[in-house]
Amino acid sequence: MARAEYEDFAETLEALDDDMRFEFLLDLAKKQDATDFPDEWKTDANLMHGCMSKVWLVHEKKDGLHWFKGASEAAIVKGLVHMMVQSFSGLTSEEVREISLDDVRRLNLGALTFQRQVGMMAMLKQIQKMAGQPVAREAAGA
Amino acid sequence: MADTVSDRANSTVLDVEAVRRDFPILSETVYGKPLVFMDSGASAQKPRQVIDAMRHCMEHQYSNVHRGAHYLSAATTDAFEQARDRVARFLNAASPDEIIFTPNVTAAINLVAHAYGRAFLKEGDEVIVSEMEHHANIVPWQLLAEATGVVLRVAPVEDDGSFRIDRFAELLNDRTKLVSITHCSNVLGTNVPAKEVARLAHDAGAKVLFDGAQAVVHGPVDVQDIDADFYGFTAHKLYGPSGLGVLYGKLDILNSMPPFLGGGDMIDKVSFKGSTFKEAPHRFEAGTPAIVEAIGLHAAINYVADIGFDAIRAHEAGLRDYAHERLSAIEGMRLIGTAPDKAAIISFLVDGLHPYDVAAVLDRQGVACRVGHHCAEPLMDRLGIIGTVRATLAMYNTKAEIDVLGEAIEKARKMLS
Ligand SMILES: Cc1ncc(COP(=O)(O)O)c(C=O)c1O
Repeated sequence: MARAEYEDFAETLEALDDDMRFEFLLDLAKKQDATDFPDEWKTDANLMHGCMSKVWLVHEKKDGLHWFKGASEAAIVKGLVHMMVQSFSGLTSEEVREISLDDVRRLNLGALTFQRQVGMMAMLKQIQKMAGQPVAREAAGA
Repeated sequence: MADTVSDRANSTVLDVEAVRRDFPILSETVYGKPLVFMDSGASAQKPRQVIDAMRHCMEHQYSNVHRGAHYLSAATTDAFEQARDRVARFLNAASPDEIIFTPNVTAAINLVAHAYGRAFLKEGDEVIVSEMEHHANIVPWQLLAEATGVVLRVAPVEDDGSFRIDRFAELLNDRTKLVSITHCSNVLGTNVPAKEVARLAHDAGAKVLFDGAQAVVHGPVDVQDIDADFYGFTAHKLYGPSGLGVLYGKLDILNSMPPFLGGGDMIDKVSFKGSTFKEAPHRFEAGTPAIVEAIGLHAAINYVADIGFDAIRAHEAGLRDYAHERLSAIEGMRLIGTAPDKAAIISFLVDGLHPYDVAAVLDRQGVACRVGHHCAEPLMDRLGIIGTVRATLAMYNTKAEIDVLGEAIEKARKMLS
C-alpha cells in the first residue's frame, strides 16, 4: 500500500477539527486539479454510477503495480478522489485486495456525511474491480 | 379524533415561534449549530400533535382495520375511516369514498397509470405531462407507453419556470386522453393553474390528474372547484408520517376501473371460479393499510387547518420574497425558477461553484438543503443545468434563518472560489 501517503492523510485528518478538515479537503481538491486527467478520459465507460456528482476513474497496471487516476466535478469529491487514488496507487494485486472498508473509514472520520462515506466505499470497490480483485466486504459480525 | 379548531384558525398572522415550539426536532443542533431545516420539500418535519396521535393509537387503540369483531378493531377502523373523511374534507371531495390510501403519491400515480391507463387508453392515445414533472409523474407513463403504445407528450416550461397555459393548450387534440401534471413544481415552485388546465383538458375530452405533492402543503386545494378527475398527494410532505399517500378520484371513474393490486380487504367474494371486487375506495386498498399513518395524517391536516392556509400562505409569501431579495444580493447568484406565481421553493446556483459543494458548506453551517436534480432530470436538461441547491421554506421557517442561509452561501463563495 502507498502507506506513507495513506498514513499522512489519515493522521492529518485525525489531528484537525471539523472545519479544518473541510479546508484540508478543498486543498486536496486543488492538488487533484493539478494532476493530469484529460477530458478524453471523461467518458461514460470511466464514469462511476450512482454518485451525486460525477466521478471518473481510470486504471493502469505497470510492472505488476496498479495505478489509479481520478477526476470529479465537485471540489469536495475531488479531495476525496485525491486521497483515494494517492493512497491506493502503486500497490500489488494482493495489496489492492487487502484494502479494507476500515482503511477507507479512517480517511473519512466524522468530518464527512454518510453520503460521502457511501461514495468513498463505492470508489474503493471500483478500484478493486478495476484491478481485477474481489471487492472488500464488512468483516463477519460487524 | 375531534377536529377541534382553536382561536388560531382563520388568523392571517402566523406566530412562527409558537409553530416552531410544536416541532420538537427544530431545537436540535447539528455540528454544534442550530438546525436550519430547509428541506421540507423532500419531507417535512412533524409537529408533536402528529407524533402524539400516532403514539396514542399504538399505546391505546391499535388493531387491524375492517377485520376483527372486537372492541379495538372497531375503534381503530373508526379512527381510520375518520381519517379518510378528514382527507375528503381537506380536498373538498364529494365523498370519503373518493379517497384511496396508497403508500405515497408515487403509488397513487402508478395506480392511475395501471388501473385507469391500461383499461381505458390504447395505442395512439396521448398523455400529456409537463417538462417540470417529478420522475414519479413521468416513469409510470413511460411504462404505460411501453406496454400499450400510448404516446407521451410534454408541455413546455418557460426559461423563468413559468407554465404557459396557451402553450399547453396547443398540445391538446382529440387523441389526448389524459393530462397528468404537477400542481406545483418541486424544483421551481411554479404553481400551475389547475382549474384552467382541467377545463381545457375536459374540453378536449381528456381526464386530468394533478400531482399535488407540493401544492397541498402551501395552499388550499378544492378538487371539485378545480374539477380534477384524479388528485394525488403524499402525507410526509404535509407534516404527516411517511408511508402514506392519497389518491382522490371521482367516484364514477374509480368504480369503472379494475383493481390494481389484488388481495385481502379489496374483494367482495373470492372463489376459484373467480372473485368479485368491492367498490372504491376499498377496491384499491388491498392488504393491511398504513393505519397509524392515516391517523397521523388526520392529525397533520387538523394541525394545518388549525393554523389556517391564509396565515400559512401569507407567512410563506413573506419568506419567499425575502429569500429572493436576500439571495439576489449575493454575487454570482442565479435563482432557478422565478415565475410570478410560485410557492416558497427556492432553487439556486452560484456561478462557478458546483451545487454539491455549496450544499456541503451549507450543511456544515447547520443549513439542511437538498442538492441534485430533485428527481426531475428532464427539467435539468431543459434548463441546461446539472442540478440546483434547493431551499424549501415551510411554515416553521423564519427570516432569521434565511439570513443564516445567505451568510452560509457567502461563506461557500469565499471557501470555494
Ligand atoms: C412534485 C412531486 N411529485 C412526487 C413526489 C414523490 O413523492 P413520494 O416519494 O412521497 O411518492 C415528490 C416528492 O419527492 C414531489 O415533489
